[in-house]
Amino acid sequence: MKKRFLSAFLATAMLATTLTGCGESEDKTTEATTEKATTEAATDAGSDAGSDDGAADYEECTIKFDWWGGDSRHEATQAAVDAFEAKYPGITVEINFGAWSDWETAKANEYLSGNNPDVQQTNFDWIGKYDADGTTYLDLNTVSDVLDLSQYDQAVLDKCVDVNGGLAGIPVSVTGRTFYWNEATFEKAGLSTPTNLDELMAAGPVFKEKLGDNYYPLVIGEYDRAILVAFYLQAKTGQPIINEKNEVTVTEADFKEGLEFIKSLEDAHVIPTVPYIDGEGADSMDKSQRFINGEYAGIFEWDSSPAKYVSALGDNGDDLVVGNVFPELQSYSKVSLMFSISADTEHPRECAMLLNYLLNDPEGAAIMANERGIPESASAYATLEAAGTINPLSAQAHTEVINSDPLYWNPLFDSKVLKGDTSVYTTVFEQYSYGMDASGSAYDVDKAAADLYKGYQDAVAQ
Amino acid sequence: MNKLKKFGKKNIGFIFIIPWLIGFLVFKLYPFMSSLYYSFTDYNLFAGMTEGFTLQNYKDVFTVPVELTALKTTFKYAFMTVPMKLVFALFIAYILNFKLKGVNLFRTIYYVPSILGGSVAIAVLWKALFNDNGLIRSGFALIGIDAPHFMSDPKWALLMISILRVWQFGSAMVVFLAALKGVSQDLYEAAAIDGASKTRQFFSITLPLITPVVFYNLVTQLVQAFQEFNGPYIITRGGPLGSTTLMSLLVYNNAFTGYDMGKASAQAWVLFVILMIFTMISFWSQKHWVYYADDEN
Repeated sequence: MKKRFLSAFLATAMLATTLTGCGESEDKTTEATTEKATTEAATDAGSDAGSDDGAADYEECTIKFDWWGGDSRHEATQAAVDAFEAKYPGITVEINFGAWSDWETAKANEYLSGNNPDVQQTNFDWIGKYDADGTTYLDLNTVSDVLDLSQYDQAVLDKCVDVNGGLAGIPVSVTGRTFYWNEATFEKAGLSTPTNLDELMAAGPVFKEKLGDNYYPLVIGEYDRAILVAFYLQAKTGQPIINEKNEVTVTEADFKEGLEFIKSLEDAHVIPTVPYIDGEGADSMDKSQRFINGEYAGIFEWDSSPAKYVSALGDNGDDLVVGNVFPELQSYSKVSLMFSISADTEHPRECAMLLNYLLNDPEGAAIMANERGIPESASAYATLEAAGTINPLSAQAHTEVINSDPLYWNPLFDSKVLKGDTSVYTTVFEQYSYGMDASGSAYDVDKAAADLYKGYQDAVAQ
Repeated sequence: MNKLKKFGKKNIGFIFIIPWLIGFLVFKLYPFMSSLYYSFTDYNLFAGMTEGFTLQNYKDVFTVPVELTALKTTFKYAFMTVPMKLVFALFIAYILNFKLKGVNLFRTIYYVPSILGGSVAIAVLWKALFNDNGLIRSGFALIGIDAPHFMSDPKWALLMISILRVWQFGSAMVVFLAALKGVSQDLYEAAAIDGASKTRQFFSITLPLITPVVFYNLVTQLVQAFQEFNGPYIITRGGPLGSTTLMSLLVYNNAFTGYDMGKASAQAWVLFVILMIFTMISFWSQKHWVYYADDEN
């Protein structure tokens, strides 16, 4: 009897610990998920109606919303969600957010299992990746009575369509690349910040001579190099490097020329080699001590990204100034981020209300601010402009990008064949700069051009 | 009711292991067999399968330069770290087996790196130590030596990652320490009376008597080394020039960034088979060098 009792006790304890284990792990997974109690917020509702957009008619429901980004983006978005719930009592928004690192992997698995949330921040190229048949994301035209699409440039909206012509995402901002210079370092070298390629090339030897071997006018990683080559070749051909028909518009010989251009920058001490950059082991350029010290005096970055570099420079943040896109280069611009609604959501109208609040409603837009770049929504832009809260550096960079008359950008440019830790851009530009491949064999410009060209062809063939 | 009671009584053991059995079948056996199946296909998470049975994934492991290099690097890593770690762990355990003042504190301190493991904090520490402006290079510079660029030199990056593994010798050390404590002092006393030096005592008494533990540590460390992921993933992301891309990192890259499950499964199975062969060799070889006290022969 005693034995049986003991057995039963042990079995129960085992089951209990198993279940406790489940409970604990569930707690952990929901740790980042905050459920907002709408009933508490309801008392504050109605203080500022803003634009109701005819959305007074809605169902009480819970919608899931996720995004990636940095702390300041998380804080702004959480505050905006809080304000939305207060304005629309009865709608509960469960939020989930995190850093970009491995975010896409997690989302890809959600798409596969059909567990993607009702509303989510999406990347432009995800339309091709995860909505290839046009059934993943809701056609936002179907909720345009709530989501005010008139605030957006139709040409930009047209870029965000899926294979069925449905609007797969609403563009939060449009972005492009330009140069940012550390003016103080250039002054130390007795130079003004460069406005064209010749001035940049001339700055390299001056930096070396006056400031030392460890000072460079510009630093660019592998992906930056790929973009710079694209800009360089687009200036030559006058066409997007991958056009709207998914055709590569340059030849292997063109790539060779582009690669030699990058090499000439290294040789002239304009940019450090990849081994030199790797040697520091910095996760990203804004974490680089060499950048923070002013040894790297220039970056080639998105117009929406200067804030983290200014922040990295700390008290010297004002030293960072926006440069123009050089006349010898032909830029492109792209939709930087979108918000999409799941095609499987049970509450499309309420999801659209949330998006409209975050993107178009002056109240929501003011809270969201510039956290995802200069807003594409006309009403949001007007709100921020009137409040004087548009980040001046981002705004100036955005103007430089627009002034450079950017070309079309094909999402295949960021295809997983080309972009990624082990993909073509990284391996080609790394090996080319090291002068050897992984097996230790010489890796020259001909091999690099051939690999780059093949990579592009593979990407468009997919 | 009686029948049910009888059934329950007869199968009580089986009933108790059902929760584990379900977990094993669903979370171990099923994925295990699925991956074997996928390894013979070109299954991509998003594109699905475009062709049927193929051996291409397995051929690729031994012919595609990136995969072959990763395989070679994994061997190099395992053969470098396992002996280094075992020797180092045994050496420290041997020292800590002496009756020293504050020995328990030392034992705890030496075990700490194993608790910290391949965490993000340790990766940051390792980068701070080994980067171009780090402590190691700066230290060498002080004595006029231009040390290698560990983070960017493909010839040295693997060694940097390997040192991290060897540094985490605590768990192996604790097992060695337990074994050393089990060696009878009488044997040492007898050997000392016969005039055996400490070195002779170590190689003729200590080492033979702890061979079962050496064998255990060898097998477990070998398995862990072949499966190493955290160090290269966090510190170098497999670079520079793929010099720290181990098979497990390649499996991860193919599976979770390229979604190429067929390829990743084949690579994982090759790794599994390699490990199985090494384990079998280890077990087969133990009759030649492992001494079990209860073995009459």
